[in-house]
Amino acid sequence: MMRRCRYADCEMVTKDAIRKLEGIVGAANVLSSEEDRKVYSYDGTSTWVHQPDVVVFPTETAHVEAVLALANEAKIAVTPRGGGTNLSGGSVPIRGGISLVMTRMNKILEISPGNLSARVQAGVVLMDLQKALAAKGLFFPPDPQSFLGATIGGIISENAGGPVCLKYGVTKQYILGIRAVLPTGKAIQFGGITLKNVVGYDLVSLLTGSEGTLAVITEAVLRLMPMPPARKTIIATFDDLPKAGETVSAILDAGTVPAKIELLDNWVIRNINRITGMGLSEGAAAMLMFECDGTDEVVAHDAEKIIGVCRRMGAAGVIVAKDAAEAQAYWKARGAGFAAVFSAAPTVLAEDVTVPRTRMAEFIRRVTDICKAADLEVTVIGHAGDGNLHPSVMTDQNNPGHFARAKRAVDEIIAAAVEFGGVLSGEHGIGLEKQKFMRRTQDPTFIDLMRQIKRIFDPNGILNPGKIWED
Amino acid sequence: MPETLENVRKFAADVAQCMKCGFCSYYCPVYREEKDEKALARGKNQLIRFLLKGEQELTEGFYGAIDNCLLCKTCVQYCPAKTRIDHAVIAARGDYAAERGLPLSKSLVFRHVLSRRWLFGWALRVASWFQFLLPRGEGKFRHLPQFLTALGAGRAVPEIAPKFLRDSLPERNPAVGERRYRVGLFSGCATEYMFPEVGRRIVDILTGLGCEVVFSRAQACCGAPVFFSGDLETGRNLARQNLEAFEGCDYIVTGCATCGSGLADYPVYLSESPEEKARFEAFAARVRDFNAFVIDVLAAEPGRFQLEPRFRGKTVTWHDPCHLTRHQGVAAQPRKILNALEGLRFVEMPDADRCCGLGGSYSITHHDTSKKIADHKVAGFEASGADAVVTACPGCIIQLRDALSRHGNGAEVVHIGELFRVKRSALDGPGDGPAPTADP
Repeated sequence: MMRRCRYADCEMVTKDAIRKLEGIVGAANVLSSEEDRKVYSYDGTSTWVHQPDVVVFPTETAHVEAVLALANEAKIAVTPRGGGTNLSGGSVPIRGGISLVMTRMNKILEISPGNLSARVQAGVVLMDLQKALAAKGLFFPPDPQSFLGATIGGIISENAGGPVCLKYGVTKQYILGIRAVLPTGKAIQFGGITLKNVVGYDLVSLLTGSEGTLAVITEAVLRLMPMPPARKTIIATFDDLPKAGETVSAILDAGTVPAKIELLDNWVIRNINRITGMGLSEGAAAMLMFECDGTDEVVAHDAEKIIGVCRRMGAAGVIVAKDAAEAQAYWKARGAGFAAVFSAAPTVLAEDVTVPRTRMAEFIRRVTDICKAADLEVTVIGHAGDGNLHPSVMTDQNNPGHFARAKRAVDEIIAAAVEFGGVLSGEHGIGLEKQKFMRRTQDPTFIDLMRQIKRIFDPNGILNPGKIWED
Repeated sequence: MPETLENVRKFAADVAQCMKCGFCSYYCPVYREEKDEKALARGKNQLIRFLLKGEQELTEGFYGAIDNCLLCKTCVQYCPAKTRIDHAVIAARGDYAAERGLPLSKSLVFRHVLSRRWLFGWALRVASWFQFLLPRGEGKFRHLPQFLTALGAGRAVPEIAPKFLRDSLPERNPAVGERRYRVGLFSGCATEYMFPEVGRRIVDILTGLGCEVVFSRAQACCGAPVFFSGDLETGRNLARQNLEAFEGCDYIVTGCATCGSGLADYPVYLSESPEEKARFEAFAARVRDFNAFVIDVLAAEPGRFQLEPRFRGKTVTWHDPCHLTRHQGVAAQPRKILNALEGLRFVEMPDADRCCGLGGSYSITHHDTSKKIADHKVAGFEASGADAVVTACPGCIIQLRDALSRHGNGAEVVHIGELFRVKRSALDGPGDGPAPTADP
């Protein structure tokens, strides 16, 4: 029996195909009950849900080769998945088929301090890796805030970023090599272990951020950094949100690059107090959190400069964390702030726009105006240091009128970001969540070029179909 | 919303809290071993959401998912959205049991044996005669709750005590000196039938600190293995029986972490009316773990604790039972006791509060995962360099002894009550005579 799924270009998974999959990875690594399909139907977004027909857990690269060869032959859709913490709909199997879950390939194969590199399987969870690296005085800089669940394969596929990307850059700067399986079933090594490598096209960079549409990553060689010996956390409060935004570019202009500059607005400050009882200044319209790292001398120098600029820019208050414990409490509170945002309303439309840092204040003002005009509750939180903001609109998808208004506001926010020379997604990716904005904001030639590249890698269109651009 | 699901509906607000961030995946001991989303709080929460929306039935597959949980609450501790998935899991088990019923043998034991102590004791006595006959691997006792189930699984478990606690401890145990409180001892099944010595030692400490200890014969199983599994009706009957058994006591003290959390959870899951909820709350407010009672209520002078001589010069570490640290918030108190014991060295082990993996009958129904989780505990213990593990939960003791012996590690696992005595007078020096409450 070969049922067609609702899209013309892919097939449902037959009983026979499930038996073959069991033959490849073993029966314990194939799940297909109603409940199995339901728990692999979502990711970290609030709205995207679609069930796979079958869930497959490879435990070695050869399994991935065989699964993809089978799927390619039978034209079964395959959607790779790591920890399922992504915020784009990218790992949601929107056309059914196989959910290829990489979490059981979770070995750290090698840590090489002398080479500042590590070789890991795709399913290694970032936090587990960081713990193993910390024991050797090393760290992997990209720090998506989903580090407790996100896997290396997913982090590479989404080209993830996080707070310290201000100083250290995003994932693409830390991937030396990738072992991946093409949708036709052939495993191939891209890049290697050396820092410099100009042999041919840089396909490592092409795969990084390709959202699982070109190949399935099974292993990666990561570039590491030595753990900085000193850190300092500084908190500055402002009575005006855009003023906090201006302070960010003033600090960069002064020649200092902290590891992190995070922005929290009054809504988040109040909610942090509610959750943690920390007693942050509720009179403040905004708060900037800085972290400097490096040697003692560098940290002391940077901290002094940051404090000076904040005062000159009219900060209402500047606090320096006394010790590591106090600093940790602030960063934990910042994490709680994010949780507060996402659990504050039945549906939260959390955007991921990124604007040039010099125009951040202007952009924040525009976001506030848009939401005020539409009578919507909005909070602005984000990695201000790199211009990556998460304006989050509170709504309820079961209230059609309100939800429609919220979606219109989001459209305007994204249009504003693009107008200011920014991008519609800084670190979450396009997936399903942002694809309706792709056509609106991108050059058709760019989208067409991507389609053609996709076709070269994946002639049958089986790998993570339906993502990035609208079909 | 479907008409049934009367229990899980009570916790619909908890279920709505989850924002699907997946942070629980780092903390869930079961997910860390199995890497299956159904094992994860987020997955369970989503299935329960589908259930509430009428898009999921109470299928065996659904029960399989919500049954694969140790109720260790590690996810609850770290959830940024503060989702109480433990509430929803127990309630969903309750709705499943109400609609589909628990396996027959399980429900027979829950309904008829656990509420009758003499029958339970008798059944155990008979079982103990045949212990040597038990097969390795999945055994005949798989549907008996808690520690009993462990018998059948090819584990190194303590034998059933030749003399149960009720055969060796009087109903009334007067305070030494002036009476400060009238305390009911909630022994719990494991202490009653397997570790009666722990019960006797606890009574000895409490009476030494000025408590009259009543060991009511009317008490039943705390109900935790029963209602945590979803048989809320039997749990309710046990709860009512225990409320009656402890009337007139200022406090109800237990040396079993699981019993302590079970008794405290009566008002959360078992009440049938607001009045009953209030009664359960008043009862729960009088329940104290042994450690918390000694330190917080009795504010015992550490100088009065005297280390059991055989531990002199030894190094011990502490294992935090989930039902103590996360369910009851008791973690500092046992450490205060351990630090106060002269002649003993106390060191922390890495991840002291990591679940041991027993989870009552979980250790039988999910034997492989349970063992793998326990292995991490052994690694943590070995890294600590201690000679012995101290804890305050008979379930954890069974699991840790089994895990250590599987790894060929002969270290002792002891209940904190076995570690010290209370000096009876200023004249008592170290290493004084035999236990005041000897085996009759």
